[in-house]
Amino acid sequence: MKKSPDPPKTFHRFFRWYCNPDLRNSIEGDLIELYHERVREEGKKQADRKFVKDVLLLFRPGIIKSIELQQYSLNTDMYKNYFATAWRNLNKKKVYASINIAGLALGIGCALLIFSLITHHLDFDNFHADSDRIYRFVTEEHRDQIDYDGSVPPVFGKAFREDYTFGEKVARLCTIDEQLIAVGEGSDIRKFSEEIAFAEPEFFSIFNFPLASGNADKVLSGANTAIITERIAKKYFGDEPALGKTFRFENRIDFTISGVLKDIPENTDFRSEIYFSYSTINQYSEWYASDDAWGGISSSIQTFVRLQPGVNPQEVEKVLPDYVKKYRAKSKNVHHYKLQAISDVHFNARYGGKMDKSTLWVLAAIGLLLVFTACLNFINLATAQAITRAKEVGVRKVLGSARAQLFWQFTIETGVIVLLASAIAFSGAYLILPNLNTFFDTRISLDLFLNTRLLLFLALLILLVTLLSGAYPGIILSRFKPVAALKGRLQGQQGGSFNIRRGLIIVQFTISQILLIGLIIMMQQMKYFSNTNMGFAHDATVMIPTGSNDEKLKTLKDQFLALPDVENVSLCFAAPASDDMWTTSLLFDNRSESETFSISFKGADENYLSTFDLELVAGRNFTASDTAREFLVNEKTITKLGLSSAEEILGRQLSANGGSLNGPVVGVIKDFHDRSFQSDIQPLFITTSLEHYNALAVKIKMNNISNTLAALEKNWSAAYPELIYSYSFLDDQIASFYQKEQRMITMVQVFSCIALLIGCIGLYGLVSFLAVQKTKEIGIRKVLGSSVTQILTIFGKEFSYLLLIAFIIAAPITWLLMSNWLSGYTYRIDIDLWIYALELGIISAIVLFTVGYQSLKAAIVNPVESLKSE
Amino acid sequence: MKKYQLGEFEEVVMLTVGILYNDAYGVSIKKEIEERLKRSVSVGALQTALKRLEDKGYLKSHEGETTAERAGRPKKYFTITAYGKKAVAYTKQTRDELWSAIPKMAWNTKVISI
Repeated sequence: MKKSPDPPKTFHRFFRWYCNPDLRNSIEGDLIELYHERVREEGKKQADRKFVKDVLLLFRPGIIKSIELQQYSLNTDMYKNYFATAWRNLNKKKVYASINIAGLALGIGCALLIFSLITHHLDFDNFHADSDRIYRFVTEEHRDQIDYDGSVPPVFGKAFREDYTFGEKVARLCTIDEQLIAVGEGSDIRKFSEEIAFAEPEFFSIFNFPLASGNADKVLSGANTAIITERIAKKYFGDEPALGKTFRFENRIDFTISGVLKDIPENTDFRSEIYFSYSTINQYSEWYASDDAWGGISSSIQTFVRLQPGVNPQEVEKVLPDYVKKYRAKSKNVHHYKLQAISDVHFNARYGGKMDKSTLWVLAAIGLLLVFTACLNFINLATAQAITRAKEVGVRKVLGSARAQLFWQFTIETGVIVLLASAIAFSGAYLILPNLNTFFDTRISLDLFLNTRLLLFLALLILLVTLLSGAYPGIILSRFKPVAALKGRLQGQQGGSFNIRRGLIIVQFTISQILLIGLIIMMQQMKYFSNTNMGFAHDATVMIPTGSNDEKLKTLKDQFLALPDVENVSLCFAAPASDDMWTTSLLFDNRSESETFSISFKGADENYLSTFDLELVAGRNFTASDTAREFLVNEKTITKLGLSSAEEILGRQLSANGGSLNGPVVGVIKDFHDRSFQSDIQPLFITTSLEHYNALAVKIKMNNISNTLAALEKNWSAAYPELIYSYSFLDDQIASFYQKEQRMITMVQVFSCIALLIGCIGLYGLVSFLAVQKTKEIGIRKVLGSSVTQILTIFGKEFSYLLLIAFIIAAPITWLLMSNWLSGYTYRIDIDLWIYALELGIISAIVLFTVGYQSLKAAIVNPVESLKSE
Repeated sequence: MKKYQLGEFEEVVMLTVGILYNDAYGVSIKKEIEERLKRSVSVGALQTALKRLEDKGYLKSHEGETTAERAGRPKKYFTITAYGKKAVAYTKQTRDELWSAIPKMAWNTKVISI
């Protein structure tokens, strides 16, 4: 007989899938018989068509198998039994259970914390009415490169409000950190250092910071009025009503409290708790208040607008260049004013956003990976342990359990474990949260009952993890053939495919190796930062803020110099490398236009060079003066100006800061790093200017530090009894440049440890599984003369392969990721091969340690023990 | 009396199973009906009917031989049970009663009206 054609496969399978098993065979027979007959009589095409039609018409109740769940009654006793069995099993295998729960708890805990962190950041400043219409004015400064500034000239807001109707409300806010507030009178004065803000009344109509008491319409309208939060009110005045009370700001301006704000919520970047009326700002800084303050930008002053409904921000940006033309005619169109949506403020690092969105996504990815590895782990361990449940499955099947029933039984068991793990994870997360908050400088709370989103996430996570990790072991276990299971004939093969398990281990180890390699590279880069010479001396240097800019300060400097353990003292604007930057434009010699680059200005006295060990390459140090008379520049300035040698600039005139600083260049200093290694060395000049000194840089001898520090404080406080003393070491300030990196490293450290730990748990599971599976093989090998070492090699080979494959996958991925990360730094390390070698060494050691114990145990078993039972 | 309820198609299937006697399985029943009544029968409709009749206890089945033609699947033969026979008989009887109850006039009128 010629081989006759087969009916269409897809539909044939579909039929087999849906058909009630009682009817399946006979109907299938009918269909096939009919099909063959039709092929003979009407041809294959027609037969196929009719077969499909028959299959589709058979898809009807009565023929379709009933869903298995309905075949047994929903019996609560059965479920009770499931839970009881689950509980007994956990109790019986405590080590296995605790390893499992620990792995899952780690994954879930990390996921919870990461979720809270991410939602916390995504919620920033989203509680203001019509927040889609709120924008901040920002500036792009186009010179030879583009700089981004989160603010606009001080008078901009006022001009925009008067000139255009685009804005429903326009508000200026001037935020200043670490300001002195004095409360009380006479001998009962208490001093506080606070962040304060001058705010226009419109600020509180744009942003949703409600008043607890006081008249909302009149808030901050009068000069010398202030509003404070309830928290500050309590801190300053205790239980007395704060309304109408007065306090003194920076020892010179008095404010009367006209309102009390409700406490500021956590999810906002407006952290000031003391607001002064903007009409008072002229008493603080005349330039801030001036009506022609178009010359520069202070990052303190931010300008916000809520646009009229229907106004397009691009429309507004189109009219803004007019201001540059009108008020900044001489400055070559450097300023480009833009609108930045309020939702972007928190995330845009260019404009000083606190949290990069990409960091959040990286975190989310890591969280997901951790949960995923934890699930993989669970699968690994559960399937490895499946053999031990074979008898139970056999008995249950004999007593009439359906596959679906067994499947759900094991899924419920997984559910119980996941639930336990979640409880532990939540408590753990709750305990760790305060550390996390300090670490990220956040104020996140974990309250399941107030935060429905978190509750929902946790529920979803539990469900997902249960299904993800419970489904596969459930399928494996419910597949056991009862006869074989009861006879004890099940061997490892039935515990799920070994290759799947290998795959899982490879995935886990790829993840942990990626993290580990990344970690090593990051740590190398940080080491490079701290070991590379910045070009100036920064050890044993104490930075103390100045209290005044007058003769008193100079006297204090002399007093410091007279102290026995003080080597040198310099009055300066800031240390050579600092986050406090003052950049300005430069007019060189008799050139008619200002230079296209911006230059950094560092005010300092004649001791600056000696205090910081700065090296002169040409000329001399400037002579002592209280105002700008002579200039020093760095080598970078020479190149930027297009001069061929350092000597060439000596004696030529500089004019900077809009013409307020003028004088000849007397010396050139060797380039030093004036900011973190993330940025290039900028052109800069140094000149004497008493009014611009913000700090006393004190170089001390390292013996007897505490006495020296105490003496410094005593002298300072004697000079400025009305102010608060503070100091910091320059080394700490420099370390804080890399706070972001340091955070990232700590984070990756923690996560790679967790990933490794979870990976090792999985490995442990696999090796125990392997040991059980190979018991007999090892026994026979030993009888035939294998040594313990030879048997250990069997295990060693297996895991070396897995490790190597994971490494081969991880290496290129990390290379791509980390080259990308490193490219953000101007000064960076190369990714060397030895980093990979080191990583491979570390991970091999860890694997050896994890695998060693179990495989040794298997290798030294007396073959009599392993072979006597069959 | 709702005791023996048979749909029209069910009745046809019952009778065909009776006709085929010891050779009544899916394909043969289908062909027999198609041949005698000149109407096409889908496998789906037939199998549902057979299952329903078996569930009601009018038919019983046993598995028969397998052939290469059926790719090794057994035939499922149906025979009428005693209870099934009663049901068919009851149906026939009720029909007859209804027939005989129709007055002659009705027929005549109908013919005239055409």
